[in-house]
Amino acid sequence: MGTSRNVERRTILKAAGATAATLGLAATTGCGGDSGTSADGTVTIRYAWWGGEPRTIAIKKSIALFEKKYPKIKIKPEFTDYEAFWEKFQTQASGGNPPDVFQNAVGFLRKYDKRGVLMDLKAQADAGNLKLDNFRNGVLANGQVDGKQIGIPVGANTMALVIDQKAFKKAGVEAKPGWTWTEYFAALQTIQDKLKIAGDTGYFGIMYLYDLYLRQNGKAFFTETGLGFAEDDVTQWWEDGYKRVKSGLVADPKKIEQAKPKSGLSAGLAASEFTWDNFSIRYEGEGDSDYGLAPIPTTDGKNTGQYLGSLMLSAFSGTKHPKEVAQFIDFMVHDPEVGKIMGYDRGILATTEQYDAFKPADAQNKGVAAYEDQVAKAGVLGKITPHPSGADVIEAAFLRIGAEVAQGKTKPADAAKALFSEAKAAFAG
Amino acid sequence: MTLVKEAPVRPAKKRPAAPVAGRRGRLRENLAGYLFMSPWIAGFLLLTAGPMIASLYYAFTSYNLFTPPKWVGLDNFTTMFQDPRWQKSVEVTLKYVVVATPLKLLLALGVALLLAQKRRGQALYRAAFYMPSLIGASVSVGFVWRALFSDDAVVDRAQKIFGVDVGGWIGNPDYVLYALVALSVWQFGAPMVIFLAGLKQVPQELYEAAEMDGAGPLRRFWNITLPMISPVLFFNVLLESIHAFQVFGSAYVVSDTRCGPADATLVYTCYLYQKGFKEAQMGFASAMAWTLVVAVALVTAVLFWSQKKWVHYEEAAK
Repeated sequence: MGTSRNVERRTILKAAGATAATLGLAATTGCGGDSGTSADGTVTIRYAWWGGEPRTIAIKKSIALFEKKYPKIKIKPEFTDYEAFWEKFQTQASGGNPPDVFQNAVGFLRKYDKRGVLMDLKAQADAGNLKLDNFRNGVLANGQVDGKQIGIPVGANTMALVIDQKAFKKAGVEAKPGWTWTEYFAALQTIQDKLKIAGDTGYFGIMYLYDLYLRQNGKAFFTETGLGFAEDDVTQWWEDGYKRVKSGLVADPKKIEQAKPKSGLSAGLAASEFTWDNFSIRYEGEGDSDYGLAPIPTTDGKNTGQYLGSLMLSAFSGTKHPKEVAQFIDFMVHDPEVGKIMGYDRGILATTEQYDAFKPADAQNKGVAAYEDQVAKAGVLGKITPHPSGADVIEAAFLRIGAEVAQGKTKPADAAKALFSEAKAAFAG
Repeated sequence: MTLVKEAPVRPAKKRPAAPVAGRRGRLRENLAGYLFMSPWIAGFLLLTAGPMIASLYYAFTSYNLFTPPKWVGLDNFTTMFQDPRWQKSVEVTLKYVVVATPLKLLLALGVALLLAQKRRGQALYRAAFYMPSLIGASVSVGFVWRALFSDDAVVDRAQKIFGVDVGGWIGNPDYVLYALVALSVWQFGAPMVIFLAGLKQVPQELYEAAEMDGAGPLRRFWNITLPMISPVLFFNVLLESIHAFQVFGSAYVVSDTRCGPADATLVYTCYLYQKGFKEAQMGFASAMAWTLVVAVALVTAVLFWSQKKWVHYEEAAK
């Protein structure tokens, strides 16, 4: 879209009937959707994210702040839920029309780097449009691939065990730091004996938890190019899981499925659930018990295998406004006001400016902050393991195949075989 | 497909010759015709024919949307036939077609028979039964279905009254497909309306004659109604089975976009969608699409072939 369009349009506007047709044509011939520069030098950039309503409200508030500070830059928001986001993004990106700035996660970095979609933001940092300082706990490294900075973290999170505190108390079990898997499963047994409910909602289908377990045992779910474990490993993991479903230690997967979109924990189907710590905020609103964060069980009483993951902002390599895009990202990750607005919705705020600006007032957010502090102080945090291109497909496959095992529809050994053959195809794609 | 024998059509009355005589007149008339058709023709070429040809080409390539398609010959088809999930999707789809289509048609015919009788408020009944077909394709109905068939929801509680406890259909891989079948059967309105039209065409004299000969209602239905509406029945069977092969929306929504649990509702199009839009294997997805086209064409051909044996057209009856 050229700058002359406005003038042309003004004349054409007189013929009211023709306007619609012209706009329609402009939309199809323009290459960047609505991203463009208008006659008065105002630049429009598209920003896309996934998430629930609270996130959308907060981000829109932040955008309003940004537009006030940079009146020459307009932000056009696009948002959906997680599943729809990546389907849409894939189609947009393949057509050369992805959003200029978008939310990203570690599972997609290599995939879209390989396809040339992501901008290396180092150049913009060198040009002074984006600051790469003041990131907490080395979390900036999460956005680096092969020496390029293709993602800028907006928050940090780590896996946790969310527990129904009332249930744990009633059963008389305590989740203590450094506890082992044996102790965890014994606790589930006690809960089942005393309260007649399952202890866990289905730990063995969660890829990121299995990753921690593998890391506790000197392996990892992913290497840079493939899977970091053997078929036998995951067969064992699923066999144990299925046994625990059968014995009732883990909740009936049929009920978990039907509780969606509510989680099994807040639906009262079990007393604990593994998830990312910043997700824990949802439980209080969903369920009627008190929920708290507990440590990840270990193999050796010490190493939890944890690391700080994060949501990031990435930029499209082909954007027409790299400078403005960098300025926007800089604002979103460093501005203290934005930190206050966003809170821990996308994890603990990644930069010191924002972290210091936001003082959580409610118990949940305080809990998340305390939990991450505790994990950082325990010195258990490792480095994030790289996710190869195709990781997103494998995560979905792991969840699906794990569910088949839980439902008794696939034997663990066959399930492991299926996972490996699907992984092979995903890495090749 | 050679459908030469159409449902009874009255011979057209001889009309006087068209006023615009000569070649130029005809040309102008044709031109006008094409002009009026042009939006449709453009739409067809751009939105249907073009993509179809492209997809036929992609079916023989490896194409991830980003790098240019790479010719791989029949690879997509060979991997497809060996793919256990593909096999599962075929199995699920066939099960759905075989169960849902006859049930839906039976119900449609049954209700049509009831509604064909003259009674007060007939129009209201017809509208009421047709209504679900109007809203049936919407996503919201999928959510409603999910809510109805979940654990401890309406259906589950009703079952428990009769001592059947399966704990909801949605999470149970053995039952969830039947929740989809129920959704399809509930939308029997469209075939019902067609049946109604067919029933109206049956000449009353036939019934009167049969009655005089002492034929009971069942006999009359079997020997008069069914043969007389068999062309309509054929039409409905054809249309509904083709629809059933293409089921997507309900499976996608009811199973929370995953076509499960445990791939229990992995209907063909759902797997196709996953392959194409989630895993970015457009070549594979195109191969799947064309396999479906061929399969549906085969089923249609078989149905057309079989109609000789059970479909009665008026000229044959005379």
